[in-house]
Amino acid sequence: MGPEPLLSVRGLSKRFDGLLALEGVDFDVAQGEIFGILGPNGAGKTTLFACLVGALAPSAGSVYFRGERIDGLPNHAVVGRGLVRTHQIVRPFREMTVTENVAIGAYFGSRGRGRGAREERVAGLLQRTGLAHRANTLAGTLTIGELKRLEIARALATEPAVICLDEVMGGLNPSEIRGAMELIRWVREEGVTVLMIEHHVHAVVGVSDRILMLDFGRKIAEGPPNAVVNDPAVVAAYLGDPALIGGGA
Amino acid sequence: MIGRHPRRRLVAAIAAALLLLLAPRVLARGMLNDIWSVAFAVVLASAWNLLGGLAGQVSIGYSAFLGIGAYTTALLALRGVEPYATLPLAALLGAAFSFVVGLPTFRLRGPYFTIATIGVGEAVRVFASGVSFTGGSSGIRMPPASFDFALNYTSMVVLAVAVVTLAAWLRGSPFGAALAAIRQDIDAAEALGINATRYKLAVHALSAALVAAAGSLFAINFQYISPGSVFDFRLSLSIVLMPIVGGVGTVAGPVWGAIVFSYLQIKMLSVPALRDSYLFLYGTLLILVMLFEPKGLLGLGKRLLRALRRPARVANGA
Repeated sequence: MGPEPLLSVRGLSKRFDGLLALEGVDFDVAQGEIFGILGPNGAGKTTLFACLVGALAPSAGSVYFRGERIDGLPNHAVVGRGLVRTHQIVRPFREMTVTENVAIGAYFGSRGRGRGAREERVAGLLQRTGLAHRANTLAGTLTIGELKRLEIARALATEPAVICLDEVMGGLNPSEIRGAMELIRWVREEGVTVLMIEHHVHAVVGVSDRILMLDFGRKIAEGPPNAVVNDPAVVAAYLGDPALIGGGA
Repeated sequence: MIGRHPRRRLVAAIAAALLLLLAPRVLARGMLNDIWSVAFAVVLASAWNLLGGLAGQVSIGYSAFLGIGAYTTALLALRGVEPYATLPLAALLGAAFSFVVGLPTFRLRGPYFTIATIGVGEAVRVFASGVSFTGGSSGIRMPPASFDFALNYTSMVVLAVAVVTLAAWLRGSPFGAALAAIRQDIDAAEALGINATRYKLAVHALSAALVAAAGSLFAINFQYISPGSVFDFRLSLSIVLMPIVGGVGTVAGPVWGAIVFSYLQIKMLSVPALRDSYLFLYGTLLILVMLFEPKGLLGLGKRLLRALRRPARVANGA
């Protein structure tokens, strides 16, 4: 495997009463990777992210981040260590402006920066996510595409080492998806490791270094994108018809 | 988050505070009593609004803090301590008890939290009525001493001004931004690194300390307290109603709510037949606010101002 992985997940399980949402999931993510996570609806993808950042406590298993065990820590403490996620169903602070939303992440998620540096960072992120012209707009009035980008800007404002993107391309049109893929590559260039859940197979295959495939809470495949999407188990569980993969959006 | 004319507002607020402090030289005692009541209500409403308005955690158990402050002062005064010297301890005990309430109840959300605070408030009242050191349900009297109303008046006005100033400052601070984030979406706040429980506990303690200090001045002013007067559920309810009617989450709203509430109460208490109907009237007001103007009297006032300005602007443009 080479150097010690940045994020290491072992035997992660999450049970909701009778339902086993995650069952013994193992994987490692290296520094600088774009790591895609695929799976049908209800496969446990969002639950996995919630367990990684501490929004949910796993029922069993462990999560190591930079060598430190972080499962069981509350969400805010995990963010402070440099692991953050965006929400599939956007959760803006609706009564705050776009700038204020991003400033919350910059102020409370990251440490040891002066006010000037923080403001500069917020402005830079708004620029990069295409929200600069909406800086003083109330977040409650944004379009869905803008809200998805606000989720990313806010999470990046916490200066994470790892960002978990939960379906940031959901509901976007093809040109917006191309923009989002570009944005994700830029995030990696900035030195942030990316985990991404996406329904849009083509986009994940196009941008990921490796892919993890979940089905009914279990890992059924992991590896380079083309190997995973051609894996017979994956085809059976999710893609159904291999011709779809060549299809595109 | 700061008003359009912060400096003009600041000047107006300082002028009002100075006038209130000079009032004992010119106004009659009856009038000063009424101003005392308004200042007392302003402290309660504005302090509650820190937790209920800024952080969105609606507690209906605030009489507990008032009572703790009042009893701290009365019990220590009976043991020979100078009443005003007990204020810091009263505030501290109020804050300490806020953790007893907050640590278990802040795990609950929305209406569940609110219902739990009703339970805590009632439990405190029942406890205070049952034990002997509070004087049981018959209450206790402060030791007879020369009572200086002017000092109590000044203390309450200063406390009211301090609480409103603190609320205004807090609202524009990073601490206030964290509370706003918690109010609007507590999970998103946590997901961006805000330790929501810690912030809720902190603002609860601050707000409880201020209410306990007001309770302390209440005991000194009335010289007699009982669980029925300071741990009353109707009092807890009034503390919630004032900011909501005035404009929850704002700085001026709780002040307006407190003024209207105290005025109604003073007017109606002077008419024996209406003595108990001020809560009925206030309840009606609450229903009207919730139905037609969720931003309270403050929102109504702003709407009226806009309506008055609009025709003028049209006339100018034409």
